[in-house]
Amino acid sequence: MTRKEYLIKQKKMGRHIFGVFPAQYPREILWAMNVVPVEIWDPPLEITGANAHLQPYICSVVKLGLELILQGKCDDLDGFLFPHTCDSIQNLASIVNDYLGMEKPCYFFYHPKAPFRDSSRIFYMEQLKGLAALLEKQLGPLDLFRLNQCVEQGRHVASLLRKLYNMRASGELAASNAQFYRVIRQGEFLVPDDFIPLLEEFLTASKGRSVAGPAVILSGVLPNPPEILALLDELGVRVADDDFLSCSRRLLVPFSQARDPFEAMAETYFALPPCTTKGSSIEERLEFLFGKIKVSGARGVIFYMVKFCEPELFDVPQLVKELKKRGLATLVIDSELNQGLSGQLNTRVEAFVEMIS
Amino acid sequence: MKDLGAPALMGISRVGKKMRPIKPDPHFGPPLKCTRRLKDIMTRHYFLSRYAEGAKPVAWVTSGAPVEVLRPFGFYTVYPENHGALCGAKKMGPELCAVAEEHGYHQDLCSYARIDLGHYFSGKTPAGKLPKPDLLFASNNICQTVAYWYKALSHYLKVPLILFDTPYNFREITDSDISYMVRQFEEMIPVLEQVSGRQFNYRKLQEYVSVAKDASITWGAVLATMKARPAPMTIFDAFGHMVPIVSLRGLPLALEYYRTLLAELRERVTRGVGAIKHERKRLMWDNIAIWYKMRDHSSLFAGQGMNFVTATYTNAWAETTPYMDENRPFESMARAYSLVILNNNLNSRLELMERLIKEYQVDGLVIHSARSCKPYSVGQYDLKRLLMERLEVPSVIIEADIADSRAYSEEQTRTRLEAFFEAMEG
Repeated sequence: MTRKEYLIKQKKMGRHIFGVFPAQYPREILWAMNVVPVEIWDPPLEITGANAHLQPYICSVVKLGLELILQGKCDDLDGFLFPHTCDSIQNLASIVNDYLGMEKPCYFFYHPKAPFRDSSRIFYMEQLKGLAALLEKQLGPLDLFRLNQCVEQGRHVASLLRKLYNMRASGELAASNAQFYRVIRQGEFLVPDDFIPLLEEFLTASKGRSVAGPAVILSGVLPNPPEILALLDELGVRVADDDFLSCSRRLLVPFSQARDPFEAMAETYFALPPCTTKGSSIEERLEFLFGKIKVSGARGVIFYMVKFCEPELFDVPQLVKELKKRGLATLVIDSELNQGLSGQLNTRVEAFVEMIS
Repeated sequence: MKDLGAPALMGISRVGKKMRPIKPDPHFGPPLKCTRRLKDIMTRHYFLSRYAEGAKPVAWVTSGAPVEVLRPFGFYTVYPENHGALCGAKKMGPELCAVAEEHGYHQDLCSYARIDLGHYFSGKTPAGKLPKPDLLFASNNICQTVAYWYKALSHYLKVPLILFDTPYNFREITDSDISYMVRQFEEMIPVLEQVSGRQFNYRKLQEYVSVAKDASITWGAVLATMKARPAPMTIFDAFGHMVPIVSLRGLPLALEYYRTLLAELRERVTRGVGAIKHERKRLMWDNIAIWYKMRDHSSLFAGQGMNFVTATYTNAWAETTPYMDENRPFESMARAYSLVILNNNLNSRLELMERLIKEYQVDGLVIHSARSCKPYSVGQYDLKRLLMERLEVPSVIIEADIADSRAYSEEQTRTRLEAFFEAMEG
């Protein structure tokens, strides 16, 4: 079933569909309010209309998201949610809400930026409750019992994902890099009732030895273009772990003991892996990367940047310098989304793999 | 810092330097007398900063950060953005950016940040020397970029970073936002005490807030003189004269300076002295200046009888002044600093621009789409369209950068401006 067919089916089941821009948001609140959050990262479109609204130096995540709206492909959605991820998404939210004359409800979710203090925790709780209160105006009251169930489902999803990531890191996942991310990315639109069985099935089917080739870690915004995964598969390279904004940085949710669902969600947010968009320090990011390298035995890190992505590009020089100091190989690539791999990039990746083999 | 000796040392340091004579442009009215005073103030500020290290706690601060909270602790404040603009104006932008790029910083990143990092790696600066900071103080009310940039500085310089986090106003500001920011002020006090070695003095803070408010109001009055026809100064002058409100905010010197400048401008208005000799059209500028083209653009527009009488950029340090209140310093600063143009939704920006266009009787708009500044630039294409629809104001977009002249195309800009000049006459 395609994403479109799935969403049509969900709509027929009486669920609301929301378009959600990257990256971090309290999905449990949406699930509990009978909303299917459909994440908008990299729709496969040619950018035409968005160029009339956005400058050439704006990243393709933002441009493709706007293009999706302008091409009318979001007409059936019931609303949008814009988390505060970066300056460009912040202003895109305002363009959509203030300038496009759309009559769809637009919600905004601001997360406090690191370094985190007591004030950050209080504010985050208020943000969660504030978002829920706003959604209630459109969708009716939030059932706390249902929210608790959804928090529990979120924990289940996270524990399955952790298991998959751990198996992959220790070389016990018999799945290609492309297959792995194809499954993980289904979580960008599947509700937990459907995502959990998919993950369980994948876990069972993929038990076994990984390929014996050298291990690398991927860092960046998201695993796009998929061609890089196919190339790494072809070269016998195991992606042992990742530091993607769209994947491990927000999916490897730590377990929370809190009984209050809002407290559980807040605890989770503050314990998530370090991320550029939250303002995590370089030291935290390095510690996180070195931890992954140690566990997985990776010999290098590929930074796969989306062109013009400021939060990521600012950290790269310092990360690369420190990784090199420890004798690890690094490769930095920046590219537009959905552009495939050019011959030149192909050669650079091949040379990198030769170096670590 | 003691005033004694600084002028003498500055004089000595100037010995032997050649002063290039500036050829007067026939399109301009008499120059502002205050410009000399401004130059002295800022030269002294940078000059003294060379000796601040070790003598005073030093903080590097972003232009939108609530600096008033640092003043009672005696911090000597340095503004890397102001330094970036200076490097841009002195045409050192490409050289310093290239140094940062050699260290892995991508050319697509903000040029103020690259200049600053280039200065860190090379030590080069037109200001002689910048003191090493004991503290970094940033607020993301102007962009998230400063948070990434200062985080890198904190890593390299091994000094603490305080981030004043201002939630973006997608709609109206909320009580929760205000409380969050007030709590942050309360949390940063012990850090400031530790770094500076001084105890917090609430009364002193109130005094600095009061002086900052008066200076901002006076700066607003300075800008408002440009409502007169002919306007007594151009926005290019204002880009220079805004430096004290950015860099010396909260200090009596800034207030004193703006009172003098205001008196001079009001006198010019009374005598009907214009900044340009034949003011036929009045324009608005959107976004940060193109520092390395200031003189060229100033002459180009003056030659057309066009004067920039307002800018969203210069207005930013006057716009939210009324919220400042020394009786509620934290709460009022939270409001004033969070509601600045770049932390507010685009609808409020549109309303602000409409108001400025009407109040200053603007005939046309020049929009600088700055590669370095995404929160300022994203949305400009729609702003252009909406202002045309609502007020029938012709406008032009210049694709350029604030301080890195490599992102500027002379030919493309000229072509666009020529078309704009034609539209303005039509």
